[in-house]
Amino acid sequence: MASISLKNVSVSFPIYGAGSASLKKTLAASVTGGRFGKETGVTVVQALSGINIELRSGDRLGLVGHNGAGKSTLLRMLAGVYEPSSGEFTRQGSVASLIDPALGIEMDATGIENIMLRGLVMGMSKRQVERLTPDICDFSGLGEYVNMPVRTYSTGMLMRLAFSISTSVEADILLMDEWLSVGDADFTAKAEKRMKDVVAKSGILVLASHSPALIAKECNRVLHMEHGRIVEA
Amino acid sequence: MTEVQVHSNLHKSAISDWWEGTRRTDIWWTLAWFDIVLRYRRSMLGPIWLTLSMGVMIGGMGPLYSSLFGTELSRFFPHLALGVIFWGFFSSIVTDACNAFVGSSNYLKQGYFPISLFVWRGLARNLIQFAHQIVLYIPVALWAGISLSWPVLWIIPAFLILIVNAHALGLLLGLICTRYRDVTQIVTSIMQMLMFLTPVFWLPESLPSRAKYVLWNPFAQLLDLLRTPLMGGVAHIHSWIGIGVWTTGCVTLAALLFIKYRRRVVYWL
Repeated sequence: MASISLKNVSVSFPIYGAGSASLKKTLAASVTGGRFGKETGVTVVQALSGINIELRSGDRLGLVGHNGAGKSTLLRMLAGVYEPSSGEFTRQGSVASLIDPALGIEMDATGIENIMLRGLVMGMSKRQVERLTPDICDFSGLGEYVNMPVRTYSTGMLMRLAFSISTSVEADILLMDEWLSVGDADFTAKAEKRMKDVVAKSGILVLASHSPALIAKECNRVLHMEHGRIVEA
Repeated sequence: MTEVQVHSNLHKSAISDWWEGTRRTDIWWTLAWFDIVLRYRRSMLGPIWLTLSMGVMIGGMGPLYSSLFGTELSRFFPHLALGVIFWGFFSSIVTDACNAFVGSSNYLKQGYFPISLFVWRGLARNLIQFAHQIVLYIPVALWAGISLSWPVLWIIPAFLILIVNAHALGLLLGLICTRYRDVTQIVTSIMQMLMFLTPVFWLPESLPSRAKYVLWNPFAQLLDLLRTPLMGGVAHIHSWIGIGVWTTGCVTLAALLFIKYRRRVVYWL
Protein backbone atom coordinates (compact mmCIF):
# COMPACT_ATOMS: atom_id res chain seq x y z
CA MET A 1 0.00 0.00 0.00
CA ALA A 2 1.57 3.26 -1.09
CA SER A 3 1.37 6.41 0.94
CA ILE A 4 3.18 9.68 1.33
CA SER A 5 2.83 12.03 4.23
CA LEU A 6 4.52 15.40 4.61
CA LYS A 7 3.99 17.40 7.77
CA ASN A 8 5.32 20.94 7.83
CA VAL A 9 8.31 19.95 5.72
CA SER A 10 10.99 22.45 4.77
CA VAL A 11 14.08 22.12 2.65
CA SER A 12 16.77 24.77 2.72
CA PHE A 13 19.99 24.73 0.73
CA PRO A 14 23.18 26.22 1.96
CA ILE A 15 24.86 27.79 -1.06
CA TYR A 16 28.59 27.38 -0.72
CA GLY A 17 29.50 28.25 -4.29
CA ALA A 18 29.96 31.92 -3.49
CA GLY A 19 33.30 31.42 -1.83
CA SER A 20 32.56 29.78 1.46
CA ALA A 21 33.23 26.16 0.56
CA SER A 22 36.87 27.11 1.01
CA LEU A 23 38.61 25.94 4.12
CA LYS A 24 40.85 29.01 4.07
CA LYS A 25 37.93 31.36 4.60
CA THR A 26 36.32 29.21 7.27
CA LEU A 27 39.63 29.01 9.14
CA ALA A 28 40.24 32.73 8.76
CA ALA A 29 36.77 33.35 10.10
CA SER A 30 37.25 31.16 13.15
CA VAL A 31 40.72 32.52 13.94
CA THR A 32 39.77 36.15 13.58
CA GLY A 33 36.63 35.75 15.61
CA GLY A 34 34.41 36.10 12.61
CA ARG A 35 35.41 39.60 11.51
CA PHE A 36 36.89 38.32 8.29
CA GLY A 37 34.18 35.75 8.15
CA LYS A 38 31.42 38.06 7.05
CA GLU A 39 31.70 36.78 3.53
CA THR A 40 31.43 33.20 4.72
CA GLY A 41 27.97 33.89 6.10
CA VAL A 42 26.41 31.06 4.15
CA THR A 43 23.56 32.08 1.92
CA VAL A 44 20.65 29.80 2.59
CA VAL A 45 18.00 29.30 -0.03
CA GLN A 46 14.67 28.26 1.36
CA ALA A 47 13.56 25.93 -1.42
CA LEU A 48 10.51 24.53 0.32
CA SER A 49 8.78 25.70 3.44
CA GLY A 50 5.87 24.42 5.47
CA ILE A 51 4.70 21.80 3.01
CA ASN A 52 1.80 19.59 4.12
CA ILE A 53 0.70 16.81 1.81
CA GLU A 54 -1.12 13.55 2.42
CA LEU A 55 -1.32 11.08 -0.44
CA ARG A 56 -2.67 7.55 -0.64
CA SER A 57 -3.10 4.98 -3.35
CA GLY A 58 -5.10 6.26 -6.26
CA ASP A 59 -4.01 9.87 -5.83
CA ARG A 60 -2.73 11.61 -8.93
CA LEU A 61 -1.16 14.84 -7.82
CA GLY A 62 -0.29 17.62 -10.23
CA LEU A 63 2.22 20.29 -9.24
CA VAL A 64 2.03 23.61 -11.01
CA GLY A 65 3.99 26.81 -10.56
CA HIS A 66 6.59 29.08 -12.10
CA ASN A 67 10.19 28.12 -12.73
CA GLY A 68 11.95 27.99 -9.40
CA ALA A 69 8.74 27.57 -7.43
CA GLY A 70 10.08 24.38 -5.85
CA LYS A 71 8.36 21.70 -7.93
CA SER A 72 11.51 19.80 -8.82
CA THR A 73 12.93 20.13 -5.33
CA LEU A 74 9.71 18.68 -3.96
CA LEU A 75 9.95 15.77 -6.41
CA ARG A 76 13.58 15.17 -5.47
CA MET A 77 12.72 15.26 -1.81
CA LEU A 78 9.94 12.72 -2.38
CA ALA A 79 12.45 10.57 -4.27
CA GLY A 80 14.70 10.60 -1.20
CA VAL A 81 17.53 12.72 -2.58
CA TYR A 82 17.17 15.49 -0.03
CA GLU A 83 16.34 14.77 3.53
CA PRO A 84 14.03 17.53 4.77
CA SER A 85 15.75 20.22 6.84
CA SER A 86 12.78 20.15 9.19
CA GLY A 87 9.40 18.54 9.45
CA GLU A 88 8.14 15.02 9.17
CA PHE A 89 8.26 12.92 6.03
CA THR A 90 7.01 9.37 5.78
CA ARG A 91 6.71 7.33 2.66
CA GLN A 92 5.64 3.78 1.97
CA GLY A 93 6.07 1.85 -1.23
CA SER A 94 8.68 1.56 -3.93
CA VAL A 95 9.55 4.65 -5.91
CA ALA A 96 10.34 5.18 -9.57
CA SER A 97 11.64 8.56 -10.48
CA LEU A 98 11.35 9.77 -14.06
CA ILE A 99 12.73 13.16 -13.12
CA ASP A 100 15.64 13.15 -15.55
CA PRO A 101 15.93 9.77 -17.29
CA ALA A 102 19.03 10.69 -19.31
CA LEU A 103 21.04 11.40 -16.17
CA GLY A 104 23.73 8.84 -15.57
CA ILE A 105 23.95 7.49 -19.12
CA GLU A 106 27.57 6.54 -19.82
CA MET A 107 28.49 7.82 -23.24
CA ASP A 108 31.31 5.33 -23.87
CA ALA A 109 29.30 2.29 -22.81
CA THR A 110 27.06 0.44 -25.23
CA GLY A 111 23.29 0.48 -25.05
CA ILE A 112 23.22 -2.98 -23.43
CA GLU A 113 25.79 -1.94 -20.85
CA ASN A 114 23.81 1.16 -20.05
CA ILE A 115 20.73 -0.96 -19.48
CA MET A 116 22.70 -3.01 -16.94
CA LEU A 117 24.13 0.07 -15.21
CA ARG A 118 20.84 1.94 -15.01
CA GLY A 119 18.91 -1.19 -14.06
CA LEU A 120 21.22 -1.92 -11.12
CA VAL A 121 21.17 1.68 -10.00
CA MET A 122 17.37 1.68 -10.10
CA GLY A 123 17.50 -1.14 -7.58
CA MET A 124 17.12 -4.28 -9.71
CA SER A 125 19.32 -7.31 -9.32
CA LYS A 126 21.63 -8.42 -12.11
CA ARG A 127 19.35 -11.31 -12.97
CA GLN A 128 16.28 -9.11 -13.17
CA VAL A 129 18.08 -6.73 -15.50
CA GLU A 130 19.22 -9.58 -17.70
CA ARG A 131 15.66 -10.85 -17.92
CA LEU A 132 14.31 -7.42 -18.85
CA THR A 133 17.09 -6.54 -21.30
CA PRO A 134 15.54 -8.12 -24.45
CA ASP A 135 12.24 -6.32 -23.77
CA ILE A 136 13.98 -3.02 -23.25
CA CYS A 137 16.06 -3.40 -26.42
CA ASP A 138 12.99 -4.38 -28.32
CA PHE A 139 10.93 -1.50 -27.05
CA SER A 140 13.64 1.06 -27.73
CA GLY A 141 13.63 -0.01 -31.37
CA LEU A 142 17.34 0.65 -31.63
CA GLY A 143 18.06 -2.66 -33.34
CA GLU A 144 21.74 -3.39 -33.77
CA TYR A 145 22.63 -0.03 -32.26
CA VAL A 146 22.21 -1.42 -28.75
CA ASN A 147 25.66 -2.95 -29.15
CA MET A 148 27.22 0.37 -30.13
CA PRO A 149 28.60 2.99 -27.74
CA VAL A 150 25.96 5.51 -26.78
CA ARG A 151 28.13 8.40 -27.96
CA THR A 152 27.32 7.33 -31.53
CA TYR A 153 23.59 7.81 -30.92
CA SER A 154 21.57 10.79 -32.01
CA THR A 155 19.76 12.78 -29.31
CA GLY A 156 16.49 11.07 -30.18
CA MET A 157 18.01 7.61 -29.93
CA LEU A 158 19.57 8.45 -26.60
CA MET A 159 16.22 9.60 -25.27
CA ARG A 160 14.57 6.42 -26.55
CA LEU A 161 17.07 4.28 -24.72
CA ALA A 162 16.76 6.30 -21.52
CA PHE A 163 12.98 6.22 -21.74
CA SER A 164 12.84 2.48 -22.35
CA ILE A 165 15.05 1.75 -19.37
CA SER A 166 13.37 4.06 -16.89
CA THR A 167 9.85 2.94 -17.72
CA SER A 168 10.69 -0.76 -17.52
CA VAL A 169 10.16 -1.02 -13.77
CA GLU A 170 6.89 -0.94 -11.95
CA ALA A 171 6.64 1.04 -8.76
CA ASP A 172 4.06 2.04 -6.21
CA ILE A 173 4.98 5.70 -6.42
CA LEU A 174 5.81 7.41 -9.70
CA LEU A 175 7.52 10.80 -9.74
CA MET A 176 7.65 12.76 -12.98
CA ASP A 177 8.92 16.12 -14.08
CA GLU A 178 6.92 16.86 -17.22
CA TRP A 179 5.45 14.12 -19.35
CA LEU A 180 8.08 12.16 -21.19
CA SER A 181 7.63 12.35 -24.92
CA VAL A 182 10.46 11.29 -27.12
CA GLY A 183 11.44 10.31 -30.60
CA ASP A 184 9.71 10.35 -33.92
CA ALA A 185 5.99 9.95 -34.56
CA ASP A 186 6.05 6.13 -34.37
CA PHE A 187 7.93 6.03 -31.13
CA THR A 188 5.90 8.82 -29.57
CA ALA A 189 2.73 6.79 -30.01
CA LYS A 190 4.39 3.75 -28.46
CA ALA A 191 5.86 5.82 -25.64
CA GLU A 192 2.53 7.41 -24.94
CA LYS A 193 0.93 4.00 -24.49
CA ARG A 194 3.77 2.84 -22.26
CA MET A 195 3.49 5.97 -20.11
CA LYS A 196 -0.23 5.36 -19.67
CA ASP A 197 0.46 1.78 -18.57
CA VAL A 198 3.12 2.79 -16.11
CA VAL A 199 0.94 5.52 -14.68
CA ALA A 200 -2.04 3.18 -14.47
CA LYS A 201 -0.03 0.58 -12.57
CA SER A 202 1.39 3.00 -10.04
CA GLY A 203 -0.44 3.64 -6.80
CA ILE A 204 0.50 7.29 -6.53
CA LEU A 205 1.53 9.69 -9.26
CA VAL A 206 3.19 13.04 -8.63
CA LEU A 207 3.58 15.03 -11.82
CA ALA A 208 5.12 18.48 -12.11
CA SER A 209 4.18 20.27 -15.29
CA HIS A 210 3.73 23.61 -16.96
CA SER A 211 0.90 22.32 -19.07
CA PRO A 212 -2.54 22.90 -17.53
CA ALA A 213 -4.11 20.60 -20.13
CA LEU A 214 -1.86 17.69 -19.14
CA ILE A 215 -2.50 18.22 -15.44
CA ALA A 216 -6.23 18.40 -16.04
CA LYS A 217 -6.08 15.16 -18.01
CA GLU A 218 -3.87 13.06 -15.74
CA CYS A 219 -4.40 14.33 -12.22
CA ASN A 220 -7.20 14.30 -9.73
CA ARG A 221 -5.56 16.74 -7.31
CA VAL A 222 -3.62 19.92 -8.05
CA LEU A 223 -1.28 21.93 -5.89
CA HIS A 224 -0.14 25.36 -6.92
CA MET A 225 3.32 26.28 -5.70
CA GLU A 226 4.98 29.65 -5.36
CA HIS A 227 8.33 30.47 -3.72
CA GLY A 228 8.55 27.06 -2.13
CA ARG A 229 5.09 27.20 -0.60
CA ILE A 230 1.78 25.70 -1.48
CA VAL A 231 -0.48 28.63 -2.26
CA GLU A 232 -3.69 26.88 -3.18
CA ALA A 233 -4.81 23.32 -3.19
CA MET B 1 21.33 27.17 12.79
CA THR B 2 18.35 26.44 15.01
CA GLU B 3 17.74 22.90 16.10
CA VAL B 4 14.89 21.39 14.19
CA GLN B 5 13.34 18.02 14.57
CA VAL B 6 13.53 15.89 11.44
CA HIS B 7 11.49 12.75 11.15
CA SER B 8 11.78 10.59 8.14
CA ASN B 9 11.18 6.92 7.61
CA LEU B 10 13.33 6.81 4.48
CA HIS B 11 16.73 6.82 5.98
CA LYS B 12 17.14 4.19 8.58
CA SER B 13 19.67 4.12 11.33
CA ALA B 14 23.22 4.90 10.31
CA ILE B 15 24.31 1.29 10.55
CA SER B 16 21.56 -0.03 8.29
CA ASP B 17 22.17 2.85 5.90
CA TRP B 18 25.81 1.78 5.77
CA TRP B 19 24.91 -1.87 5.36
CA GLU B 20 22.43 -1.09 2.61
CA GLY B 21 25.28 0.28 0.52
CA THR B 22 27.72 -2.41 1.54
CA ARG B 23 25.60 -5.42 0.74
CA ARG B 24 24.80 -4.33 -2.83
CA THR B 25 28.09 -5.75 -4.06
CA ASP B 26 26.62 -6.29 -7.52
CA ILE B 27 26.08 -2.54 -7.95
CA TRP B 28 29.44 -1.32 -6.75
CA TRP B 29 31.45 -4.03 -8.44
CA THR B 30 29.69 -3.38 -11.73
CA LEU B 31 30.16 0.38 -11.43
CA ALA B 32 33.83 -0.09 -10.57
CA TRP B 33 34.30 -2.56 -13.40
CA PHE B 34 32.76 -0.12 -15.87
CA ASP B 35 34.98 2.67 -14.53
CA ILE B 36 37.99 0.63 -15.58
CA VAL B 37 36.58 -0.82 -18.80
CA LEU B 38 35.32 2.53 -20.07
CA ARG B 39 38.57 4.30 -19.30
CA TYR B 40 40.48 1.91 -21.54
CA ARG B 41 37.75 1.15 -24.04
CA ARG B 42 39.38 2.91 -26.96
CA SER B 43 42.89 1.67 -26.31
CA MET B 44 44.08 -1.53 -27.86
CA LEU B 45 45.76 -3.10 -24.84
CA GLY B 46 43.11 -1.95 -22.40
CA PRO B 47 43.81 -2.40 -18.69
CA ILE B 48 47.07 -4.18 -19.56
CA TRP B 49 48.39 -0.61 -19.70
CA LEU B 50 48.13 -0.57 -15.91
CA THR B 51 50.54 -3.49 -15.79
CA LEU B 52 52.82 -2.16 -18.49
CA SER B 53 53.28 1.34 -17.16
CA MET B 54 53.97 0.04 -13.67
CA GLY B 55 56.42 -2.50 -15.11
CA VAL B 56 58.30 0.19 -17.00
CA MET B 57 58.55 2.29 -13.86
CA ILE B 58 59.85 -0.50 -11.65
CA GLY B 59 62.18 -1.82 -14.33
CA GLY B 60 63.65 1.63 -14.86
CA MET B 61 64.05 2.55 -11.20
CA GLY B 62 65.32 -0.75 -9.82
CA PRO B 63 68.87 -0.86 -11.24
CA LEU B 64 69.36 2.90 -10.85
CA TYR B 65 68.29 3.14 -7.22
CA SER B 66 70.07 0.00 -6.16
CA SER B 67 73.38 1.45 -7.39
CA LEU B 68 72.54 4.86 -5.86
CA PHE B 69 71.95 3.28 -2.47
CA GLY B 70 74.73 0.75 -3.00
CA THR B 71 72.43 -2.17 -2.23
CA GLU B 72 72.54 -5.53 -3.92
CA LEU B 73 69.96 -5.63 -6.71
CA SER B 74 68.52 -9.03 -5.79
CA ARG B 75 67.70 -7.67 -2.34
CA PHE B 76 66.63 -4.20 -3.38
CA PHE B 77 64.53 -5.01 -6.43
CA PRO B 78 61.72 -6.91 -4.64
CA HIS B 79 61.68 -4.21 -1.95
CA LEU B 80 61.29 -1.47 -4.54
CA ALA B 81 58.75 -3.35 -6.66
CA LEU B 82 56.42 -3.98 -3.71
CA GLY B 83 57.03 -0.48 -2.39
CA VAL B 84 56.04 1.20 -5.63
CA ILE B 85 53.07 -1.08 -6.29
CA PHE B 86 51.64 -0.72 -2.78
CA TRP B 87 52.30 3.00 -2.69
CA GLY B 88 50.44 3.42 -5.97
CA PHE B 89 47.55 1.50 -4.41
CA PHE B 90 47.52 3.61 -1.21
CA SER B 91 47.78 6.94 -2.91
CA SER B 92 45.13 6.18 -5.47
CA ILE B 93 42.78 4.98 -2.72
CA VAL B 94 43.32 8.21 -0.83
CA THR B 95 42.95 10.55 -3.79
CA ASP B 96 39.90 8.67 -5.07
CA ALA B 97 38.38 8.87 -1.61
CA CYS B 98 38.31 12.66 -1.92
CA ASN B 99 36.20 12.37 -5.04
CA ALA B 100 33.98 9.51 -3.90
CA PHE B 101 30.81 11.60 -3.66
CA VAL B 102 31.65 14.50 -5.94
CA GLY B 103 32.36 11.99 -8.71
CA SER B 104 29.11 10.16 -8.10
CA SER B 105 26.87 13.21 -7.95
CA ASN B 106 24.98 12.18 -11.08
CA TYR B 107 23.69 9.19 -9.12
CA LEU B 108 23.28 10.87 -5.75
CA LYS B 109 21.08 13.59 -7.24
CA GLN B 110 18.71 11.07 -8.80
CA GLY B 111 17.33 9.30 -5.83
CA TYR B 112 18.17 7.79 -2.49
CA PHE B 113 21.51 6.03 -2.41
CA PRO B 114 23.37 4.84 0.66
CA ILE B 115 26.62 6.77 0.38
CA SER B 116 28.78 3.85 1.51
CA LEU B 117 28.04 2.34 -1.91
CA PHE B 118 30.20 4.94 -3.64
CA VAL B 119 33.07 4.48 -1.24
CA TRP B 120 33.03 0.76 -2.01
CA ARG B 121 32.90 1.58 -5.69
CA GLY B 122 36.13 3.57 -5.46
CA LEU B 123 37.79 0.88 -3.40
CA ALA B 124 36.73 -1.86 -5.82
CA ARG B 125 38.09 0.15 -8.72
CA ASN B 126 41.42 0.44 -6.96
CA LEU B 127 41.44 -3.26 -6.14
CA ILE B 128 41.02 -4.07 -9.81
CA GLN B 129 43.91 -1.75 -10.68
CA PHE B 130 46.03 -3.25 -7.93
CA ALA B 131 45.37 -6.77 -9.21
CA HIS B 132 46.76 -5.70 -12.57
CA GLN B 133 49.92 -4.42 -10.96
CA ILE B 134 50.73 -6.91 -8.21
CA VAL B 135 51.22 -9.68 -10.81
CA LEU B 136 54.48 -7.91 -11.69
CA TYR B 137 55.86 -9.04 -8.38
CA ILE B 138 55.75 -12.71 -9.40
CA PRO B 139 58.61 -12.52 -11.94
CA VAL B 140 60.54 -10.19 -9.63
CA ALA B 141 60.26 -12.61 -6.70
CA LEU B 142 61.22 -15.57 -8.87
CA TRP B 143 64.22 -13.73 -10.25
CA ALA B 144 65.37 -12.65 -6.79
CA GLY B 145 64.90 -16.19 -5.48
CA ILE B 146 62.56 -15.27 -2.63
CA SER B 147 61.30 -18.29 -0.73
CA LEU B 148 58.01 -18.01 1.07
CA SER B 149 56.79 -20.14 3.94
CA TRP B 150 53.88 -20.06 6.40
CA PRO B 151 54.50 -16.56 7.79
CA VAL B 152 53.40 -15.23 4.41
CA LEU B 153 49.84 -15.81 5.65
CA TRP B 154 50.22 -12.67 7.77
CA ILE B 155 49.42 -10.88 4.54
CA ILE B 156 45.75 -11.84 5.02
CA PRO B 157 45.09 -9.93 8.27
CA ALA B 158 47.29 -7.11 6.97
CA PHE B 159 45.22 -6.83 3.82
CA LEU B 160 41.98 -6.87 5.82
CA ILE B 161 43.31 -3.99 7.91
CA LEU B 162 44.10 -2.16 4.70
CA ILE B 163 40.53 -2.62 3.46
CA VAL B 164 39.04 -1.41 6.75
CA ASN B 165 41.27 1.65 6.73
CA ALA B 166 40.62 2.35 3.09
CA HIS B 167 36.86 2.24 3.62
CA ALA B 168 36.93 4.38 6.76
CA LEU B 169 39.24 6.90 5.13
CA GLY B 170 36.99 6.89 2.08
CA LEU B 171 33.95 7.89 4.12
CA LEU B 172 35.95 10.41 6.12
CA LEU B 173 37.73 12.14 3.25
CA GLY B 174 34.73 11.80 0.96
CA LEU B 175 32.55 13.73 3.41
CA ILE B 176 35.15 16.36 4.24
CA CYS B 177 36.23 16.94 0.65
CA THR B 178 32.66 17.33 -0.55
CA ARG B 179 32.06 20.07 1.98
CA TYR B 180 35.47 21.76 1.74
CA ARG B 181 36.73 21.47 -1.78
CA ASP B 182 40.28 22.64 -0.96
CA VAL B 183 40.93 19.60 1.19
CA THR B 184 41.38 17.53 -1.96
CA GLN B 185 44.38 19.70 -2.89
CA ILE B 186 45.78 19.49 0.62
CA VAL B 187 45.47 15.71 0.63
CA THR B 188 47.15 15.41 -2.78
CA SER B 189 50.17 17.39 -1.68
CA ILE B 190 50.42 15.57 1.65
CA MET B 191 50.41 12.25 -0.20
CA GLN B 192 53.23 13.47 -2.43
CA MET B 193 55.30 14.41 0.57
CA LEU B 194 54.50 11.17 2.39
CA MET B 195 55.79 9.15 -0.53
CA PHE B 196 59.30 10.32 0.37
CA LEU B 197 58.79 9.96 4.12
CA THR B 198 57.66 6.36 3.69
CA PRO B 199 60.22 3.67 2.92
CA VAL B 200 58.89 3.16 -0.58
CA PHE B 201 62.26 3.49 -2.28
CA TRP B 202 64.73 3.46 0.59
CA LEU B 203 65.38 0.71 3.10
CA PRO B 204 64.18 1.38 6.65
CA GLU B 205 67.44 -0.09 8.02
CA SER B 206 69.43 2.71 6.44
CA LEU B 207 67.66 5.26 8.63
CA PRO B 208 69.83 6.73 11.42
CA SER B 209 68.25 5.89 14.78
CA ARG B 210 67.31 9.48 15.62
CA ALA B 211 65.23 9.61 12.45
CA LYS B 212 63.29 6.44 13.27
CA TYR B 213 60.22 8.51 14.19
CA VAL B 214 59.59 8.70 10.45
CA LEU B 215 58.39 5.11 10.68
CA TRP B 216 55.49 6.14 12.94
CA ASN B 217 53.68 7.28 9.85
CA PRO B 218 50.73 4.90 9.33
CA PHE B 219 51.58 4.37 5.69
CA ALA B 220 55.07 3.18 6.64
CA GLN B 221 53.53 0.75 9.14
CA LEU B 222 50.96 -0.53 6.70
CA LEU B 223 53.61 -0.92 4.06
CA ASP B 224 55.75 -2.91 6.49
CA LEU B 225 52.80 -5.20 7.29
CA LEU B 226 52.07 -5.84 3.63
CA ARG B 227 55.54 -5.93 2.17
CA THR B 228 57.57 -7.88 4.69
CA PRO B 229 55.56 -11.13 4.55
CA LEU B 230 55.76 -11.13 0.76
CA MET B 231 59.52 -10.88 1.01
CA GLY B 232 59.78 -13.86 3.31
CA GLY B 233 60.13 -11.87 6.52
CA VAL B 234 57.99 -11.07 9.54
CA ALA B 235 56.67 -7.56 10.07
CA HIS B 236 57.66 -5.51 13.08
CA ILE B 237 55.39 -5.78 16.12
CA HIS B 238 55.44 -1.97 16.36
CA SER B 239 53.74 -1.79 13.01
CA TRP B 240 50.85 -3.94 14.26
CA ILE B 241 50.40 -1.82 17.37
CA GLY B 242 50.73 1.44 15.51
CA ILE B 243 48.30 0.50 12.81
CA GLY B 244 45.85 -0.83 15.40
CA VAL B 245 45.76 2.57 17.11
CA TRP B 246 45.49 4.39 13.80
CA THR B 247 42.66 2.14 12.56
CA THR B 248 40.66 2.61 15.74
CA GLY B 249 40.94 6.38 15.47
CA CYS B 250 40.15 6.43 11.81
CA VAL B 251 37.10 4.19 12.09
CA THR B 252 35.74 6.12 15.07
CA LEU B 253 36.06 9.46 13.33
CA ALA B 254 34.59 8.11 10.11
CA ALA B 255 31.65 6.63 12.01
CA LEU B 256 30.96 9.91 13.81
CA LEU B 257 31.00 11.95 10.61
CA PHE B 258 28.95 9.32 8.79
CA ILE B 259 26.26 9.27 11.45
CA LYS B 260 26.01 13.04 11.49
CA TYR B 261 26.42 14.03 7.87
CA ARG B 262 25.54 11.08 5.65
CA ARG B 263 22.33 12.67 4.43
CA ARG B 264 23.79 16.18 4.23
CA VAL B 265 26.27 15.23 1.52
CA VAL B 266 23.73 15.69 -1.26
CA TYR B 267 23.22 19.28 -0.18
CA TRP B 268 26.93 19.96 -0.61
CA LEU B 269 27.27 18.55 -4.09
